[in-house]
Amino acid sequence: MRGAKRIIKKELARVFKDKRLIFTMYIMPAILMFAIYGLMGKLMSSMNNDITEHTDIVTVVNATEAFKQVVTTTGYEKNASVTYVDQSEYASNKQQYENEILNGEKDLLVVFDEDFEAVFNAYANKGDKIPNINVSYNDTENYSSKAHNVFTNLVANTYREVLQTVRLGDLEQLDVFNVTENQIVKEGKKGTEFLSMLLPYMIVLMLFSSAMSITVDAIAGEKERGTLSSMLLAPISRTEIVVGKLVSLSILSTLSALVYCVSMIFAMPLMQKGMGGGDVNLSFIGVDTGLMLLATIVLMNLLFVSLLSVISIMAKDTKTASSLVAPMYIIVVLAGVMTMFSGGGDMPLWRYAIPVYGNALVVQQICSGEAQITSFLATVAGLAVAIAVFVGLTSKAFNSEKIMFNA
Amino acid sequence: MIEIKDLTKIYKLSNKKKAELKTKDSEKVAVDGVSLEAHPGEIYGLLGPNGAGKTTTLRCVATLLKPTKGEISVCGFDTVKEGKQVRDKICFLTNEIKLDPHFSASYMFDFFGGLHGIDNETLSKRKEDFFKRFDIMDFKDKKIEDLSTGMKQKAAIAVSLVHDPEVIIFDEPTNGLDIITARVVTDFLRELRDSGKTIIVSTHIMSEAQKLCDRIGMIIDGRKVAEGTLSELLAEESAEDLEDAFFKVYKRVKGEDKIS
Repeated sequence: MRGAKRIIKKELARVFKDKRLIFTMYIMPAILMFAIYGLMGKLMSSMNNDITEHTDIVTVVNATEAFKQVVTTTGYEKNASVTYVDQSEYASNKQQYENEILNGEKDLLVVFDEDFEAVFNAYANKGDKIPNINVSYNDTENYSSKAHNVFTNLVANTYREVLQTVRLGDLEQLDVFNVTENQIVKEGKKGTEFLSMLLPYMIVLMLFSSAMSITVDAIAGEKERGTLSSMLLAPISRTEIVVGKLVSLSILSTLSALVYCVSMIFAMPLMQKGMGGGDVNLSFIGVDTGLMLLATIVLMNLLFVSLLSVISIMAKDTKTASSLVAPMYIIVVLAGVMTMFSGGGDMPLWRYAIPVYGNALVVQQICSGEAQITSFLATVAGLAVAIAVFVGLTSKAFNSEKIMFNA
Repeated sequence: MIEIKDLTKIYKLSNKKKAELKTKDSEKVAVDGVSLEAHPGEIYGLLGPNGAGKTTTLRCVATLLKPTKGEISVCGFDTVKEGKQVRDKICFLTNEIKLDPHFSASYMFDFFGGLHGIDNETLSKRKEDFFKRFDIMDFKDKKIEDLSTGMKQKAAIAVSLVHDPEVIIFDEPTNGLDIITARVVTDFLRELRDSGKTIIVSTHIMSEAQKLCDRIGMIIDGRKVAEGTLSELLAEESAEDLEDAFFKVYKRVKGEDKIS
């Protein structure tokens, strides 16, 4: 395997002796990751702040005196500009009021029944008429939607309680029982849901895209440029060339995928802060589960590199290879997405052995702190078989005159 | 020493290829029963039009293709059964096989030297010799992608000779080169011949074959149709020069109407 070693050394030198390549492959992605997540977080938080700080423009028709008092006591007007309108004014401009909500010029239209107080006071027995407040808002407008929430929770509920007190006197008799809640969560597992849902998908995606950009050029590109043939003329076996190529490509793309993953894990809190979520917590990953995660990532990478090698070597140039790889990309994305919605629960062991899908499931288990040695072994076994098949096919393709020389 | 015995190479044609070649045949006979010998200290030229089977023959000698029928031995090693040993004895140069453009000529020289198992001392001595010979010294550390076509070709020749091969196979040696580089290449081939190497080249340029080759084999439609030294061929065909001789042979093989 002297030849394989030399090829590995050369392929690694190609990247690591080229400052520009080191920057574009390993440094720029990390910077971009931080920049993108940071920017997304910043934009989201400024959008949220903007919505929270917005002064709601509210029109109230036929407001009762008691309601007006509630508006004052709850401090609702600190963040809302309330205009009171009577029935005749409303009736003559009804369409205009509704259009203003539709166009987002105003946020909320609250219409009390004209005889609201009279109906409330007249209530005596079950089945009697109760008064109504009609609230109009536009759910597609952020401001209007927020105005609706604040009005319902703050003003309408308080006003309801005020009127209930008028009718019943003591409100406590309505509380038939209390519910107290006690969350029991493993220490360190809080905040893993987001990560365990997103990380497997992101890992699969990043591994594939890193492997794709490197492998297509290193195999189909070299074939197209005629540099692969010069290697075929060296006094080494084709298997050595295949091993040298696959190992070096795996090293390069694993490193690239790790840069992506690590920078994503560290950059994601920047975005989560903007979304108002907690920090991403990784403390539940121990040495053993960390090694399992690493082994899965490395093997998955080898799978992608060997799969892409088969495709790249069959293609006559990089253009053809890229077009052949595109459907693979979609399948891989699909497998990643499926794990996002596959939920927890027990699954038959064979599912973990399915390449890509099963691997993403195992990554998900590890990220949610539920790593299992059996599912891990199943995934390793599945990967080993698939890798062996693709390496075999690559080797066969390297030995084929038709494929190598279009003969 | 190269011995080709009854070499036949048949390609299976895909539907796409059939359409390209405008044929309904599912096979194409690229080389048809060619036998020849090239000896140490001589330049053997395969002369023929494009598509005659020259490149296929040379690729079979270089172990890149397997003969459908027949045998080839290089320095006593069979190209099919002992490919590794054959590759250690030969260098194969063609326009289609290139050096990795991301590396320098110096790096590629060391890389291929390593693959051939050459020790560092010999390697650095040989590098200096060849690089001086081909005027590569000044750009030896420049990336190959930054070199001109002539410089690239010179670098490729130097690198292919890293293991001091006994047999040199050269497909269209001066194709695409400017006249100065072409001259450097042909002079070097003569020098290699004089040092006892076996050299086989393919060409469709009559003047090149006439000046360079000690013996010439004419190939038309995959068959060897004539062979001999320049003077033998000229005498046999009562021709003034090689081009004249070639066309006489060509007419005989293809029929008069084909070239008129």
